[in-house]
Amino acid sequence: MSRSYDRALTVFSPDGHLFQVEYALEAVRKGTCAVGVVGKDVVVLGVEKKSVLQLQDPRTVRKVAMLDDHVCLAFAGLTADGRVLIDKARIECQSHRLTVEDPVTVEYITRHIAGIQQRYTQSGGVRPFGVSTLIVGFDPHDVKPRLYQTEPGGIYSAWKANAIGRSSKTVREFLEKNHKDGMSRDDTIKLTVKSLLEVVQTGAKNIEISVMESYGKITSLDLAQIEAIVAEIEREKEAEAERKRSRLAATAAGQAAMSQAAGGSGQ
Amino acid sequence: MDISFALTGKGYVIVAADTVAARSIVKMKVDEDKIKVLSPHLLMAYSGEPGDTVQFAEYVERNIRLYQIRNTHALRPPSAASWIRRTLADSLRSRKPYAVNLLVGGYDTSTHNPHLYWIDYLGTMSEVPFAAHGYGAYFALSLLDRYHDPEASVEEGLATLKRCIDEVAKRLVVNPEKYKVKIVDKDGVREVEI
Amino acid sequence: MSIMEYNGGSVIAMVGKDCVAIASDLRLGNQALGISSNFQKIFPMTNRIFLGLPGLATDVTTLKETFRYRVNMFTIKEEREIEPETFAHLVSSTLYERRFGPWFIEPVMAGLQKTHDGGYKPYIAATDLIGCLNFAKDFVVAGTASTKLFGVAEGLWEPDLEPEDLFETISQTLLNAVDRDAYSGWGAEVYVLTKDKVIKRTLKGRMD
Repeated sequence: MSRSYDRALTVFSPDGHLFQVEYALEAVRKGTCAVGVVGKDVVVLGVEKKSVLQLQDPRTVRKVAMLDDHVCLAFAGLTADGRVLIDKARIECQSHRLTVEDPVTVEYITRHIAGIQQRYTQSGGVRPFGVSTLIVGFDPHDVKPRLYQTEPGGIYSAWKANAIGRSSKTVREFLEKNHKDGMSRDDTIKLTVKSLLEVVQTGAKNIEISVMESYGKITSLDLAQIEAIVAEIEREKEAEAERKRSRLAATAAGQAAMSQAAGGSGQ
Repeated sequence: MDISFALTGKGYVIVAADTVAARSIVKMKVDEDKIKVLSPHLLMAYSGEPGDTVQFAEYVERNIRLYQIRNTHALRPPSAASWIRRTLADSLRSRKPYAVNLLVGGYDTSTHNPHLYWIDYLGTMSEVPFAAHGYGAYFALSLLDRYHDPEASVEEGLATLKRCIDEVAKRLVVNPEKYKVKIVDKDGVREVEI
Repeated sequence: MSIMEYNGGSVIAMVGKDCVAIASDLRLGNQALGISSNFQKIFPMTNRIFLGLPGLATDVTTLKETFRYRVNMFTIKEEREIEPETFAHLVSSTLYERRFGPWFIEPVMAGLQKTHDGGYKPYIAATDLIGCLNFAKDFVVAGTASTKLFGVAEGLWEPDLEPEDLFETISQTLLNAVDRDAYSGWGAEVYVLTKDKVIKRTLKGRMD
């Protein structure tokens, strides 16, 4: 019986579900992972890059897009849907400047994108966008870095750090453990890479990092820079493991000594 | 009453426009910038019906920017001018046409050539070595016929521009007093005092 | 002031022996004020068809772009080049689309039409601004100097001119006609089409 609700698009099922929206969320869960982390005066976007085929041009596969001078977007889910959403957002950015002179705020463009996504859950003959987005940037005349998320249903929310896409739950839990307020630029980047490494086994070559430091100042890290950070993280992990091992050994030695002493006294 | 001039030289285009915003016989403002920077290597001086001018210039500005964000690269001067012309030509046959005259000057970073386009509110476009709009055109064009040199240095180009401005000051009943002058070349756009 | 005379400019096309020629001036004006001495009004549509568009300059550019689009679409869909006679009707219907708000252009075209025996036949035509076709065996004229062009062409043209003689005839006709017209002139360009080549020449004219 419930099958029939699948056929009509975005109609409630008796228990209050919108199956199409849930399927869209499923598409998001299958998409590659994207992470956003806010620092003291910096915000970093990190995405997992699918490894491109041997003959493919990697520059043509991009998951982070500039919406305007001061706003960046990363998405997880269906790339084709993401592209359409990005184009609509870019037009709105310019249109907003044209009508009221000012650039958009990050919240405004997030609300606009979420609004579009919501519209596609409530009208006939359409299907929802199969993407979740992370939107980062700085508001005009402001120094506070911002991070927002939107979902296929049209929900949007602000975050200190968040992840979307494949294994996003693991990454979010990692971020919850390790995020601190007021991180420096380097710490923020490192945390982003670290959290991505939780789910990206292949390391630096499948990670893409964009850093926004202030209004209109966006840089993306090249492979060498990311590799250096990954190496540093590896070193730290190694040192940590080493410490653990030696501590373990010390404890074992202590225990052995104690048991020996006890045995000796028994003789 | 808007006056604008533009001329090309060796690797650059100079665009100049007066800075008066007038309403009938009253000067409302004497430091109005009527030259928009459309992209890192593109300038546009606009004049005509007050209201239409700024509205149209900003519409163009936003669309050129949108193109650049969508495609990473900015439109090259010939393509940008062509798009602007078509927008005006379509507008001409609409219910409320824009009454805006333009001088579009740019530097093509791929071919390393300066380009200058004369465009009027009808959508007439011509690539020219020098151009003028408004009453200034009647005095300056003949002067530029005599003194313009496509191989001139920036200093020589500015001197020729100065001749045009002085001629207008000498012969036109009303004198705009101040001009804003912008140059576009391989290094991008810069403003100069004259 | 008529809108057809706002920018100035004239075009003429002539038939010769197994060849055709089309020529125009290069002036762009704002009524009496000259703006450019390098404003082209003749455009190649295919290798064997040239179209002259005298009239309101904004429509010159718009129509040039429209015809480029329509000829390209024809070539792609039909997988062959458009023939002059077909093209003439394309021009006619494109202009008639705007019967009650016309493009202010009176097109002149010159081309070489394929014949059944594999040869080429000269073809010239002109239309008014709403697309009424006018075929001619000798010459067609349009633009602000059209009246003068008629007079000079009537005196100079003769049948079966060889390409070089046709070039001389059309050049002299144009240059002398535009000298009597304040809105045309400032240099000229001439195209002569023969079955195996197109000759383009730019002419100097009086700059007054």
